[in-house]
Amino acid sequence: MSKTSNAAWKKKYENSGLREADFTSISGRPLQPLYTREDLADFDPETGLGLPGDYPYTRGVHPSMYRGKLWTMRQFAGMGTPDQTNERYRFLLEKGQTGLSVAFDNPTLYGCDSDHALAAGEVGKTGVAVDTLADMERLFAGIPLDRVSTSMTINAPAAWIFAMFLANAEKRGIPFATLRGTLQNDILKEYIAQKEWIFPPEPHLRLITDLMAFCAAEVPQWNTISISGYHIREAGSTAGQELAFTLADGFCYVEHALAAGLDIEDFAPRLSFFFNSHLDFFEEIAKMRAARRIWARAMREKYKAKNPRSWLCRFHVQTAGCSLTAQQPEINIVRTALEALAGVLGGCQSLHTNSMDEALALPSEKAVEIALRTQQIIAFESGVASVIDPLGGSYYVEKLTNGLEEEAERYFRKIDELGGVVKAIELGFFQREITRAAYEYQMALSRKKKFHVGVNDFVNSGQTLEIPLLEIDEAVERDQVAFLQRTRSERDNGAVREALEALKQAAAGGRNLMPPLLECARRYATLGETSAALTAVFGEYREQPFY
Amino acid sequence: MAERKIKVIIAKPGLDGHDRGAKVIARALVEAGMEVVYLGLQQTPEAIVRAAVEEDADVVGLSILSGAHMANFRKVRELMEAAGLGDRLLTGGGIIPTKDQDKLKGLGVEKVFGPGDDLQEIVEYIRRNARRAAA
Amino acid sequence: MNLIAQALWDDFFKGGRLACARLISAVENDPEAWPEILDKIIPAQKGGVRIGVTGPPGVGKSTVTAALARRAARAGHAVGILAVDPTSPFSGGAFLGDRVRMQELGGDDRVFIRSMASRSGHGGLSPATPYAADVLDAFGLDRIFIETVGVGQAELDVLGCSDLVILVLQPGTGDVIQALKAGIIEAADLFLVNKSDLQGTETLLDSLRFLMDISPVRKERPFPAVLEAAALLDKGMDAAAAEIERLVENCVGSGRYREKRLSRLEQEIRAAIQRELWLDFSALAGAEEEIRAVAADLLTKRASPYPYIRETCSRIRIQLADERASRVKDE
Repeated sequence: MSKTSNAAWKKKYENSGLREADFTSISGRPLQPLYTREDLADFDPETGLGLPGDYPYTRGVHPSMYRGKLWTMRQFAGMGTPDQTNERYRFLLEKGQTGLSVAFDNPTLYGCDSDHALAAGEVGKTGVAVDTLADMERLFAGIPLDRVSTSMTINAPAAWIFAMFLANAEKRGIPFATLRGTLQNDILKEYIAQKEWIFPPEPHLRLITDLMAFCAAEVPQWNTISISGYHIREAGSTAGQELAFTLADGFCYVEHALAAGLDIEDFAPRLSFFFNSHLDFFEEIAKMRAARRIWARAMREKYKAKNPRSWLCRFHVQTAGCSLTAQQPEINIVRTALEALAGVLGGCQSLHTNSMDEALALPSEKAVEIALRTQQIIAFESGVASVIDPLGGSYYVEKLTNGLEEEAERYFRKIDELGGVVKAIELGFFQREITRAAYEYQMALSRKKKFHVGVNDFVNSGQTLEIPLLEIDEAVERDQVAFLQRTRSERDNGAVREALEALKQAAAGGRNLMPPLLECARRYATLGETSAALTAVFGEYREQPFY
Repeated sequence: MAERKIKVIIAKPGLDGHDRGAKVIARALVEAGMEVVYLGLQQTPEAIVRAAVEEDADVVGLSILSGAHMANFRKVRELMEAAGLGDRLLTGGGIIPTKDQDKLKGLGVEKVFGPGDDLQEIVEYIRRNARRAAA
Repeated sequence: MNLIAQALWDDFFKGGRLACARLISAVENDPEAWPEILDKIIPAQKGGVRIGVTGPPGVGKSTVTAALARRAARAGHAVGILAVDPTSPFSGGAFLGDRVRMQELGGDDRVFIRSMASRSGHGGLSPATPYAADVLDAFGLDRIFIETVGVGQAELDVLGCSDLVILVLQPGTGDVIQALKAGIIEAADLFLVNKSDLQGTETLLDSLRFLMDISPVRKERPFPAVLEAAALLDKGMDAAAAEIERLVENCVGSGRYREKRLSRLEQEIRAAIQRELWLDFSALAGAEEEIRAVAADLLTKRASPYPYIRETCSRIRIQLADERASRVKDE
């Protein structure tokens, strides 16, 4: 392909008449009609692309990728009482799911008990309610925790929920060293996007580094933090912002752990990531590939990690919740399929596919099954898992990967200028960027520059809902509260008080908080009691709102 | 010379931090010439209605994605009636199943919006239905 | 013709919060109702002190106001807060985001918070703000904080309608003092350096004290105190609140309170007369169109407008006299 033939094609292209459409990515990135070798003229495949399982990991974190082991099919689930959730877990494991993912209800996410004033009306609605160790016992009854990996999506009270999880394993005689799983535990993105915090940043960061240190010694197979971009994207950010802000958060955690005296090789291999997979197919794939390369370079060059396992950006992907529509919900199956495919072509380690009815309520059994089958079709029928990084070398994909990396670097410089991630959070930098992107996208939809099928185009007027919805019985709250009160009355309250006091002392001092949290969990201290004890020492965080 | 602006309160009751929708709507309403009091997260129904009274709001908009919509709308409606704001527009958005939307109509919440609803339509609905008692 | 229903007045004087809010709305939305409202409001005013809180954007005015309001309420005062935010010149809408920074006052019955958009006030206060403060005064509130956005005209507007002005600053913003409008520094009654936990506090405090040293002596007013605080951490606010109470006492005792009211009243009368006369003139058929046509013509000819102005004023005086005469005849 020569420059002359390119120019000739360009002329023919321009003369052929174009569609009336907006040829930018969903993030607003301008796209060329065609990508050729010219676009990669400065790209060195040796250093930029590499091979799978080799620095800088653009093509994947393992040498064999899905030829060796498929991604984990991990459907997020949680609803109602721990008993109901336990049933759903057994159902999913039977249907072929290979890992568990726990969704908690709002009160639990905020570290509140089910009978807390603010919990009214929210218990068990968008996830499972967990108040004490007794709930953990019910949640995982009959599930072989040493053979199934468990991911828990919880942030602010992650440390003491994890303590309850460990106490349960201990009671069942399961050694900590056999436990595999992930805690989301990513407080920085809470300040940025999801808003589930309790204390100001520094105490939360301390809890995170305490947990990392504890796990490095006691629970070595556990992924202590899932540095998340999913929520940032759901809040309305662009792909570039999702990539940049997530990795910036990651760097911040690394720096805090190093400052706390941890050895990088002890915690870095257990850091994992969580990305969104949104509608713009190629942009998402490029984003994931860029993530691996950026992280590897930073960990090796900037943070001087020596162990290659410390350079790896391993990540879970969830298909984009915000891309789903309440209108014509069945077509969400198609959206989810494309997004899942992008996640696979992007090289994810585990994947959650959304259910079609998720714009309306928690998913029904039927919808969840279809979501799981979607992954199984990709894995076993489509053939894409037979070849590693099949899009590697595509002019478009490599150019896009480079472009996203450059965009991320620009953001890193800006964040540094502002004084780092925590400072940028206080200044509202991330929040403002995200709100702007969200608004611009919404306006683009309004002006029909961007499309959402069934919503702003191809609309079926007067449609009625046909999908069976899963409804949460109001009795769930009653039952959960009753169970909580019974637990409180049956436990040794003196022992609980003692443990909470010891926790407060440890918090005020500098000791690792995991052992005292574990003790509180063993004695059936509630989530809320533990939160209150820590709040007494750390204080409560109030956000200065930014628009 | 008189400028009558529509005054809107946007709030998120309960424990839910997903404020993308609320912020986008707030901004769209401002761009449409309205005066928007953004109350933010973790608002109790009491605080919301108290603000509506002091601000003499024409519209109260609740954003609820947590599933607790029935309890919250019910409580806010009750408090608005008791405070003399029964004639003001109560609306909102979030993840609200159609069946519940019908139940909300019975409470006097005629319309709520969901993900995917057109921004301009929401703005127009509020503009057309914002109510104010005669002085 | 009454624009405000008697029922609303009854509610208001009985202490109805919604009635108070609705009167403020009337003041915002119906300038035609001002005379009617002021007729009832002015006699009912109880001497509430208006405290202006101004300063550059981002220094924490809302947090400071909330902290001061909380202390005033605790000390037994009935407190009002008018939080003014700018109206967008493009859309005409406004994002009223001060209230959310005063969350902790939410449940306190002794505090009434109202957000206001600057509307036609060119980014400063809304023209209705002083009247809203009058309404709150008549409602029985004796400490009325007026918080402005502090850009453009705002700092100067707030001087006109406040008895006391607090200028809130924060360290580390370099030449903030150069940037502030001449007049505000001279007129402020208290300088509050907020976010004093940040670097640069000492420098800023020194600069302010230096300014005081080189400023000409102010008539009948002592130099303002320079205090530091960190409102978000609730530090230094007790001292600030105490200083305000001291200033209030001084302001009322020294007669300055009365002077300000006098000056405002004179201003009001002048402005209202001008407004009324202008309305009369522009009501004359074709007046606006004529002005527009004449101006276009004068621009082309590069001629002075004053002959036209003089001639038009004579015409108006005659026309108005004629109209008055014929009205008298009809009655």
